[in-house]
Amino acid sequence: MTVYDIIFYLFALITIGSAFFVVTLRNIVYSAFFLLFTLFGIAGLYVLLSADFIAIVQLVVYVGGILVLLLFGVMLTHKITNVQIKTGTLQIIPSAVAVLVLAFALIKIFLTTNWKTMELVSQNSSAQGLGVLLINQYSVVFELLGILLLIALIGAASMARR
Amino acid sequence: MIYEFLSNITGSEILGAIISAFLPLFLFILPFALIAVLLERKVSAHMQDRLGPMRVGYHGILQTVADILKLIQKEDITADANDKTLFNLAPILVFAGSYAVFAAIPFSSSYLGSNINLGLFFIIGISGIVVAGILMAGWASNNKYTLLGAMRSAAQLISYEIPTIMIVVTILMVTGTLNLKEITELQSGYFWNWLIFGGNVTGIAKYLLIPFMIVGFVIIYISTLAEVNRTPFDIPEAESELVSGYHTEYSGMKFAMFFLAEYANMFAVSAIVVLLFFGGYHSPFGYLGNTFGITWLIPIEQLLWFTFKGVGFVLVQMWLRWTLPRLRVDQLMAVCWKYLIPIAFVNLLIVGLITLL
Amino acid sequence: MRTYLNNIYMALSTIMIGMKVTFKHLFEPAVTIQYPDVKPQLPSRERNRLYVNMDDCIGCDQCARACPVNCIKIETVKSLPDEDLGQTSNGKRKALWVTTFDIDIAKCCFCELCVFPCPTDCIYMTDVYEFSEFERENLIYDFVTLTDSERKEKKDNYEKMMAEKAAKEEAELKAKEQASKDKPEEKK
Repeated sequence: MTVYDIIFYLFALITIGSAFFVVTLRNIVYSAFFLLFTLFGIAGLYVLLSADFIAIVQLVVYVGGILVLLLFGVMLTHKITNVQIKTGTLQIIPSAVAVLVLAFALIKIFLTTNWKTMELVSQNSSAQGLGVLLINQYSVVFELLGILLLIALIGAASMARR
Repeated sequence: MIYEFLSNITGSEILGAIISAFLPLFLFILPFALIAVLLERKVSAHMQDRLGPMRVGYHGILQTVADILKLIQKEDITADANDKTLFNLAPILVFAGSYAVFAAIPFSSSYLGSNINLGLFFIIGISGIVVAGILMAGWASNNKYTLLGAMRSAAQLISYEIPTIMIVVTILMVTGTLNLKEITELQSGYFWNWLIFGGNVTGIAKYLLIPFMIVGFVIIYISTLAEVNRTPFDIPEAESELVSGYHTEYSGMKFAMFFLAEYANMFAVSAIVVLLFFGGYHSPFGYLGNTFGITWLIPIEQLLWFTFKGVGFVLVQMWLRWTLPRLRVDQLMAVCWKYLIPIAFVNLLIVGLITLL
Repeated sequence: MRTYLNNIYMALSTIMIGMKVTFKHLFEPAVTIQYPDVKPQLPSRERNRLYVNMDDCIGCDQCARACPVNCIKIETVKSLPDEDLGQTSNGKRKALWVTTFDIDIAKCCFCELCVFPCPTDCIYMTDVYEFSEFERENLIYDFVTLTDSERKEKKDNYEKMMAEKAAKEEAELKAKEQASKDKPEEKK
């Protein structure tokens, strides 16, 4: 068990544990704050996979942007603490079937896939490779995503003006 | 850097990591906060023709020590209506966010917490935690002023992150790297190699870059000033209207943690400006260690130069604070969205074109 | 576009002007007076703590009557005819023992109205302005120079004198009555 392993399990614990609380807690604000730790844990896992660029983008976009917007939304909601959230079990049989099927499929994939294992290489930085790929091989997708975001922006602006 | 060195010395990775994690706190942030708080009070006093603290030690030198002793003794008040868990967690989160920034800042060529390739990007990303911590503090205090302050603070931080990132991208175009140590090494030599004077680009492009680099410097300085909630962008902690924003309800050591985080942030922001535009830890005139042939003197000199430049920009922040009044919220947003971001965009385009030359 | 550029120019230039002003003030000598160490020069007609020079006080009660907040309390006792109380510095003869002269400085409003009516200029404002106390009772100043036993003695003396006088008068009255009783008898 090296330091690497310890850190991995630490981050995994943070991620899964706080994700569990996100789902189960009754107070929305608590859920939102636990989401922060989930996202942070995922960023840590990315770092351990030497995907440094993705990790930092995760921090900038999810922790710095989306989560804060979420908190804004939650906090500006009227009477957040008194909202009755339905966490009762309503559709036991269909949900159980769906969960079982999904779990079975996941475990099946997990067991049957021919996983490629490779030695741990300390990659220098993934940023350059990502950039080259985005501009050359996936440039059309990249541009289309940009247009999609632009449309969303214009839509939001026009809705806000109304 | 320092982590590898320490783990070699102690022979244990964990011990090395822990020591290297605590080093900047005890070597740098605490002494800096001690000095900066006193400096702030002294500078503000003398700008208003006052004397400031005078009674503890010679000209009040030990005032901050006395203040800290007072803060330690103080009762740690938690109001009944506070959300206990979040209330206790928030100062830790805020401090962790602003402290993590110091992991990537190269203080000198031989002292750097971690030589991350995306150091600059990391600094901007990790400050996102501070926003969440501030929101947490504001909400958990269960007080309308703190919530308002937290909201304003978060809105401001998110808006002003955009021009900051734009200027970072501008720098990326010139340097081709986000590694802070490499960026600093590109600016080695004398002060005309600093990025504000066009960096080590050769030919006519260097002279063409200078005005746009100055524009970039002004923009990043203004936007980082807003990110650390200093006057004129201090509406989140406006004393006269919000009591003091998100940390109104805090007392004792928890308040001290917010305070420490704020001063750590002030230096971090100045350090970013120094690293990007003013040669980082490099001396503008060469080193004494080189002239006398003493190699171990150079890193120490570099540390001194870095601190000197950083504290210099902190002083300018204080100077601005005691000069300018507070902006209104709409003015704040107008400055960001109507002025800084378009100018940063145009600047980005022009710098990109120049670097193609 | 023109206003846009003008706005930028205005913002930057005015900030520069402001910063120049504050920078100048950074090197200006401070106006602060380090109070307990350095005391400020008081104006010539300052009004601070009252003081009564009991050597000159004739016990005329004019200051107590002038006081708008009734913070001065004076009680006097007439002196015996054979006692010489001396003269005040401006030549007035003292005729009363002042047995109580209390000034409750906590009530005092520093109006200086008590100072003007004083015929001997014995009550006046000093330049002492630091006289905080932990107990409110300590702010009632007693200016009488006599000791408690002396005060009692003076009072007793006066009462004794008055009693003697009354006795004498009574005796005289009796004598007169006796005389007037006798006279008509003589006439008769």
